[in-house]
Amino acid sequence: MSVDAFITEETIQGADDGPLADRTVAIKDNISTAGVRTTCGSEMLADYVPPYDATVVERLKRAGATLVGKTNMDEFGMGTTTETSAFGPTKNPVDESRVPGGSSGGSAAAVAAGEADVALGSDTGGSVRCPAAFCGVVGIKPTYGLVSRYGLVAYANSLEQIGPLAPTVEGAAEVLDVIAGPDERDATTREAGADADYASAADGDVEGLSIGVPTELIEGADERVIERFEATLDDLRAQGAETHEVSLPSVERAVQAYYVIAMSEASSNLARFDGVRYGPETDADGNWNDSFAQVREEGFGDEVKRRILLGTYALSAGYHDKYYAKAQDARAWLKQDFDEALAEADVLASPTMPVLPFELGESLDDPLQMYLADANTVPVNLANLPAVSVPAGRADGLPVGFQLIGSAFGEREIIRAASAVEN
Amino acid sequence: MTAQALQQRDLAVVIGLEVHVQLETDTKIFCGCSTESADDEAPNTRTCPVCLGLPGALPVLNEAAVEAAVKVGKALDADIAEETRFHRKNYYYPDLPKNFQITQYDAPICADGALEVSVEDDRREIGIGRAHLEEDPGSLQHEGGSIETADHTLVDYNRAGTPLMEIVTEPDFRGPGEVRAFLAKLEEVLEYLGVFDASRDGSLRIDANISLMPADEMADDGSVDEAALEAANRTEVKNISSHKGAEKALAYEVTRQKNAVERGREIEQETRHWDESRGITVSMRSKEEEKDYRYFREADLPPLQVADWKERIPIPELPDARRERFREAYGLDAEAAAKLTSTKEVADFFEDVADRFDAGLAATWVADDLLGELNYRDMTITDVSGRLDEFARLIELVDTDEITEKNAREVVLRTMLDEGHTPEEVVEREGLGKAGDDAVAAAVEAAIEENPDAVEDYHDGEGGALNFLVGQVMSKTGGSADPGTVNGLLRERLDE
Repeated sequence: MSVDAFITEETIQGADDGPLADRTVAIKDNISTAGVRTTCGSEMLADYVPPYDATVVERLKRAGATLVGKTNMDEFGMGTTTETSAFGPTKNPVDESRVPGGSSGGSAAAVAAGEADVALGSDTGGSVRCPAAFCGVVGIKPTYGLVSRYGLVAYANSLEQIGPLAPTVEGAAEVLDVIAGPDERDATTREAGADADYASAADGDVEGLSIGVPTELIEGADERVIERFEATLDDLRAQGAETHEVSLPSVERAVQAYYVIAMSEASSNLARFDGVRYGPETDADGNWNDSFAQVREEGFGDEVKRRILLGTYALSAGYHDKYYAKAQDARAWLKQDFDEALAEADVLASPTMPVLPFELGESLDDPLQMYLADANTVPVNLANLPAVSVPAGRADGLPVGFQLIGSAFGEREIIRAASAVEN
Repeated sequence: MTAQALQQRDLAVVIGLEVHVQLETDTKIFCGCSTESADDEAPNTRTCPVCLGLPGALPVLNEAAVEAAVKVGKALDADIAEETRFHRKNYYYPDLPKNFQITQYDAPICADGALEVSVEDDRREIGIGRAHLEEDPGSLQHEGGSIETADHTLVDYNRAGTPLMEIVTEPDFRGPGEVRAFLAKLEEVLEYLGVFDASRDGSLRIDANISLMPADEMADDGSVDEAALEAANRTEVKNISSHKGAEKALAYEVTRQKNAVERGREIEQETRHWDESRGITVSMRSKEEEKDYRYFREADLPPLQVADWKERIPIPELPDARRERFREAYGLDAEAAAKLTSTKEVADFFEDVADRFDAGLAATWVADDLLGELNYRDMTITDVSGRLDEFARLIELVDTDEITEKNAREVVLRTMLDEGHTPEEVVEREGLGKAGDDAVAAAVEAAIEENPDAVEDYHDGEGGALNFLVGQVMSKTGGSADPGTVNGLLRERLDE
């Protein structure tokens, strides 16, 4: 029985040999694959076939992986449930009445349902970690600059990274080993962490590890989620880790700052979809301005239009300082908060999502409620830090994710801690 | 100010420019595509995912473009930013692959420079407010008509991503002539720097802002009060592509606006399009509101530290300094110095020749003969770049007296240019080597022998007889004898 994880199922054979030679990989449909359509879950790109491979796809193929298809996602990554896809929703393999989370819901569902060994997603404000938590798999959001974004169709380019999803921490780390490292085609990539051997860090050894727990990320979470989170902390302490409370006072502005920045960048990144080269045929009559407007009216879904409009507004003269500039300030403060908290702890821990997976259709009518569900994941993107979501058991039969946040390029620490959660 | 009030007062012209210059780099500003422009090139062949703005492609800064910009900044005596960063300028236009342009906003690579120009006998300093880097959009081809009448429009992205430098002047121009002088000087400087090719289509694009102000509102030193300038209605003239075009367009605009004022009409704040073929400006749109480009940082391009680039990147001696040095070092007059520094290649060639031979000979040969013959053939020095050593050898043949100046100038140089031969080949083929002493002596003897009447006339004191005999000798030697020498030899023999 299918959970509708894929938009396009097509096998792309990698090299004969390599570290991922026996692995099947599902690719989120906003990561460019030469010759295989890459829709971003949008009507606008329903027929778009990239002429080039994303750097991560090249690296997976070179590592011997077999690509099995392009996975469903919220349109252009804009959503937390994979329900805004123009290709219909994906179901959560754990409970098919529930959403798989988003926006990389298809990638998480494919892994949870065993339709691919591992998968790639992209994480702009939690889009790898949220579906990993909802589907009960592992998802890593790397430090900004560790993995090349070349070929990732941009939603909010200052925030997002491509990251792996897998059933186990070690499995995800093995994929990270293949895709990490600088790329001359992405000027924001860094040398740091290129040869870290992430898979070897999944040794479960947390003896003496110091874990900071930001109180602000626990407040307001569902009781059933908090219960699983506390039980996981107990378990880590039993394995030799030490925990203490830390504070991230600026986090209360994180969701607002995140949405202002993400929507502003999106309004610019998505401007190129104007009908000249992409998008549906329309019967627009009049000048090119009318024709652009008609294509965008028909080609984009409601959530995408909402975010483009809000982002355009936030960047406009007279509002730029009030919204966009303030959001940048909030981002800087938040980075400082994280620096201070991580000076007193090796890693930070929180529930990945403050809620259990929504019922299908439940959140669609209330975008604000959906945005607030990102409260624990977006601060990490604003601060350019690495984080992992690892399954922490179930509540009412539904998966709960446990999030570990590290210092910049501190992926080995969070992988080690996450592997102890699996013990 | 009302039209009536303006009507009563003398008017002064205030002009400021935005000059877009294509920088000569091997590859585009954010990708590895070649910038080589070939006229017969098929559209959309010099492209890649980056300059096409395909989803997911990312820009990577070509540091050669930044280097070129730093050179321009140094030549304009501008401050170079310590850190250079890029912004997105958001607007929708069909030639723009991403519907935003990557440009510079709050940290232009160059700021606060100046360029000195001579206008007639006046030296004027034109302030440069800023100069920044950006990417060129693609180009549109309106099929079957103009932008208004075309049936449909095609987009060619070959040009997209060519590095552009936008140079913004202060409103320092007081007339179209100054604008022309400034642009010609700017082109000259840019060519000296090796960052600009004027022959390339679209390599220079100019927008001019022009305002008419009451002359008595201008300060004595010609400076203009900012508030007064803001109050004057400004016209922006677009689509100017040369320094000559700029002068024509602005002269037209000055006349049009003065006429309007004289008739008591308000000058509208608007954008006008220079129609080169008709020689007029046409209203495009009235500018009731400033466009909102929603600038914000381009996160895909990390800031580049260029604090030490100004020191690290050398620039060649600039035309003004070189002219001055040529006058002093080689004793040239102003006209020759100007000709010999008209392009860097000419100046380099002259200097090479002047250091090897007599400077006066070098100046005559390069400034008058070579440039004159090239000009006559509608050629420039760049057309013979690869053959400069041949021309040097020609001058050497003259300098060592192996051929006569007359033959060198009238036969060898022209044949070299027309037929592409080396000087040695021409001398050989035409038998122009200077006649040996024996051959000249024999020709002198023969001329005297064959023309007894002329000899007699000479002895009778008829001045024309000697010239006739010289001509006979010259014709016998195929012009390869030196007329002065022949003259001396003949006198010697006849006066015996």
